[in-house]
Amino acid sequence: MAKSTIYAGLEIGTSKICVVVGEAKRDGTIKILGVGTAPSRGVRKGEIVDFQKVQTVLNDALVRAEEPSDVMIRTVFLGVTGGHIKSLNSRGAWRLQEDQGEITEDDVEEAKEIARNVEIPQDHVFLHSITRQYIVDGQEGVRQPIGREGRVLEADYHIIHGVRGRIQNAVKCVREVPLEVEDVVFTAIAAAQVVLNREAKAQGALMIDIGGGTADYVLYEDGMIAASGCVPLGGDHITQDIAMAVQIPDRRAEELKVTEGSCIFDDLSPEDIVRVEDDNGFMIAECERSFLNEVIHLRVREIFEQVKTRCEGHIGHLAAGIYLTGGTSLLKGIDVVAQDVFERKVTRAGSAPVSGVTATFEKPQFSAPIGLIRYAQILDQEKPFMSPLRKLGRKMADLLSVVP
Amino acid sequence: MVEYDRKALKETIEPGSLKTCIVGVGGAGGNVLDRITLDRTVEAKLVTVHTDIRVLSHSMSPHKVQLGVELMRGIGAGGDPELGREAAVFSREQIREAVDGHDIVFICTGLGGGTGSGAAPVIAEIAKGTGALVFLTATMPFSFEGKRRLKQAEESLDQLQKRADALILFENNRMGELTLPKDGIQKAFTQADQLIAQSLRAVSTILSTPGLVKLGLDDLTAALNTSNGRCLFGFGEARGQNRGSEAVKRALKSPLIDQGRLLHQTKTLLVHIAGGESLTLLEVDAIMKLLGKNVPDQTHILFGVAVDAKLGDSVCVTLLSSLGLAQLNTVAAAAPPVDMLPVKDRPMPSIMDNLGAPAAHAPAPASAPSPTLIPATAAAPAPRASKSSLRAELAKSAPATEPMDLLFRSEEIAAPAAPTSITSAPLPLSVEEVSAPEFEPEPEPESFLEEEPQAEAEAVAEATFEEEPSPFADEIIIEQPMAAAHIPEPEPEPEPVQPVRPPRPRIEDFITQPAPRPAPLPTTSLAAVVGRAPAPAAEDAPYMPGSRLASKVSEDDEQIAFRFGSEEDRGRFQKTEPVLADGGEDLDVPTWMRLKRKLKR
Repeated sequence: MAKSTIYAGLEIGTSKICVVVGEAKRDGTIKILGVGTAPSRGVRKGEIVDFQKVQTVLNDALVRAEEPSDVMIRTVFLGVTGGHIKSLNSRGAWRLQEDQGEITEDDVEEAKEIARNVEIPQDHVFLHSITRQYIVDGQEGVRQPIGREGRVLEADYHIIHGVRGRIQNAVKCVREVPLEVEDVVFTAIAAAQVVLNREAKAQGALMIDIGGGTADYVLYEDGMIAASGCVPLGGDHITQDIAMAVQIPDRRAEELKVTEGSCIFDDLSPEDIVRVEDDNGFMIAECERSFLNEVIHLRVREIFEQVKTRCEGHIGHLAAGIYLTGGTSLLKGIDVVAQDVFERKVTRAGSAPVSGVTATFEKPQFSAPIGLIRYAQILDQEKPFMSPLRKLGRKMADLLSVVP
Repeated sequence: MVEYDRKALKETIEPGSLKTCIVGVGGAGGNVLDRITLDRTVEAKLVTVHTDIRVLSHSMSPHKVQLGVELMRGIGAGGDPELGREAAVFSREQIREAVDGHDIVFICTGLGGGTGSGAAPVIAEIAKGTGALVFLTATMPFSFEGKRRLKQAEESLDQLQKRADALILFENNRMGELTLPKDGIQKAFTQADQLIAQSLRAVSTILSTPGLVKLGLDDLTAALNTSNGRCLFGFGEARGQNRGSEAVKRALKSPLIDQGRLLHQTKTLLVHIAGGESLTLLEVDAIMKLLGKNVPDQTHILFGVAVDAKLGDSVCVTLLSSLGLAQLNTVAAAAPPVDMLPVKDRPMPSIMDNLGAPAAHAPAPASAPSPTLIPATAAAPAPRASKSSLRAELAKSAPATEPMDLLFRSEEIAAPAAPTSITSAPLPLSVEEVSAPEFEPEPEPESFLEEEPQAEAEAVAEATFEEEPSPFADEIIIEQPMAAAHIPEPEPEPEPVQPVRPPRPRIEDFITQPAPRPAPLPTTSLAAVVGRAPAPAAEDAPYMPGSRLASKVSEDDEQIAFRFGSEEDRGRFQKTEPVLADGGEDLDVPTWMRLKRKLKR
């Protein structure tokens, strides 16, 4: 097809704003052409609070991504997150007409419509509705029901929804840059596309993308998405805990977390003291390493426990275990805590299956933005090819079926 | 041996043999009748009645009656209902002739003018006299037609209410404006006529076709809440694939239903599904499911299904209901459509709403309209029951008027009892409405119960925390007496969360606010105090600047912060939306700080 397959993904994170330009090839691989990041400002817990600051930083990131890739970015896939994003699974059953043998496209549409018609809070909008499976006469796990024989068709959907206003604000902010938003994607969904491979999804896996402000998670079971959501806790909370415990400014606490922090506080001697210096090299605070680590440990454990309570009932089915990604997953000992909480195998993962200037971007921080490119690619592949003639035919059929 | 009496099981009236007559009175009525004649949708005798000979000669209906031939000489009533009434009284014999011998008489008219407003009550009375059921379909004038016409319409309506068995009232304002705000006036009128024609056809179909699930007159009156409501009517017909859902969608598209939104407020909804012989139960099921999405659970759905071979492979869905007006229709009729739509939180002290309410709970729809008022009629056979009870209601509202009186003097019509009784009626009823909410708070105790498991869960959480080997644990033992000194006692359950927290933040707030400042100096924060205060006792620590300030913290501050953490504890997350765990804990407050407080307790 003549259509360009170069996509741009934009993630406005709490700690960094990241633009990724990637080429989605026809064979299903991705080549990353350029990545531009800039430390984020004006974002709290994954949500934009200060438009102007975000736009300034976003322009920086945009330029940095455009330069190496030699691409003029006009439209982006925007990753959104935030504590307001919730998910649910819904099924819709559609009974076929008596004289009808095979399931047709219209039946599938009808079942989908019923499944999508679920109660969500009034101010919420659908972000994604992902087909999990079809069930034909009680037979589960059907991927492609059209053409099958059956009486009852059920569509099983995973629906992710969020507060309309907040999602729109993110889109608005990006539009003012100006950039066109091609699609809005929940970041966890995007990240999962590159972190989890087909096998992991089939076996059952929980991906947790712990970023600066939020921990987004997606849980796959039998190759189907089973749960997803966002815990609005992240690296910033760890930093804040340290800042308040050790009584140092946030910036120092962040530094301390990255350089010295760990989640393991056992077996540390009381003599092991961590010192915090200011810009001039003067010591402004010091504390025991075990104390620092315990502060971090408590928060990390809490984040995992929050995720765990939200995935209740699914944890037992995770043969592939837990996949940690996102900037905070670089924290030392975080896998031990995850192992402790979930009692499953824990893998720390970045985005593996991409080519291009990859080496730099296999870091877990870039899972979500690279995932956006992958998401765009999948979306393009799934789009059913329809010749213009066929389209016309369908339109005519529609018209004829509704004679007043 | 007793002979099994088969005849007794037979319906006394052959359903198909119901004779219907539709009378169009005045200009508007004539237009509707023209529409019906053209569409040939209803099997009924069509009679156009008018004073104006020119209009009458243009009418397409097969039967025509000119009113007051000698009196009016073929000239219209000129917008004077008095003249219209006189003319009708003059020609009462012709009217009786036209109407006589029918089981159901529909009268459609546009209120507000001369002939319509004046003659319709007379015709209704005559029709009533022949022993037929009288249905009245009337349109209220557009608001631009002026106050006077409106007043005439209301006066006429008052009289009609006493004489008709059921009243279907359409609001021209709403039909016109909601259908085609920009289209030509002629189109708007045509549209309105079409709607009325459809409704007539639907009602007559409902009443006359044999139903698998039959809807009777009782259901109809229950759905229409006659005396003080505007009709909500939707009709959809479709064929082909998915004809069921398509028909429902069309029915909901009716402007009178406002995309189904108005159905949210109705108490009773009549749904009639008709189809050819190919109608399947599945389709009916699907239709009702689709409708269920638009109708609240507590709505009383009167449901009917009929199979009519004439329909071929198409399916018709008819929705019929009425909404009580906020005030008596005398006030509300002039209001623009926006005011017409009752706002949810506005109380609607309408009589019929309240009368309709018991009907919704009544086990048998036969005794539907207000069994409380006239228990005697409840035992009567179905259609008669509602009719007589309706009449009883009418008699109640205007005891002086016996509607069967054919002499028809104006003193009777303007019976002063009617308006006063209507206005006084809402009083006791409104008391009922006030007392009604008292039943509602019932579920609350449940929510209290729910809190307990949470508390338990917390207790468990605490227990698990205590088991952990933690450097804090040592401190705690030493801490106990100190803590007691600091905190008087958390005697009244620590203050609820809400007062401590700012109102739910919105995005807009954030935009105008300056960016959150960096974390406050820890020296002033409670965190430092609570976290650090005991430390010097446990170990000698040169790195404890905060401990010196422990005494500065006031006790009441501490109490507020005791469980949930104060605003300051939230550090850089101040003024963001709090992250709350199940137990109401604020997760933005450092974990260690919360853990510490729990342990202290």
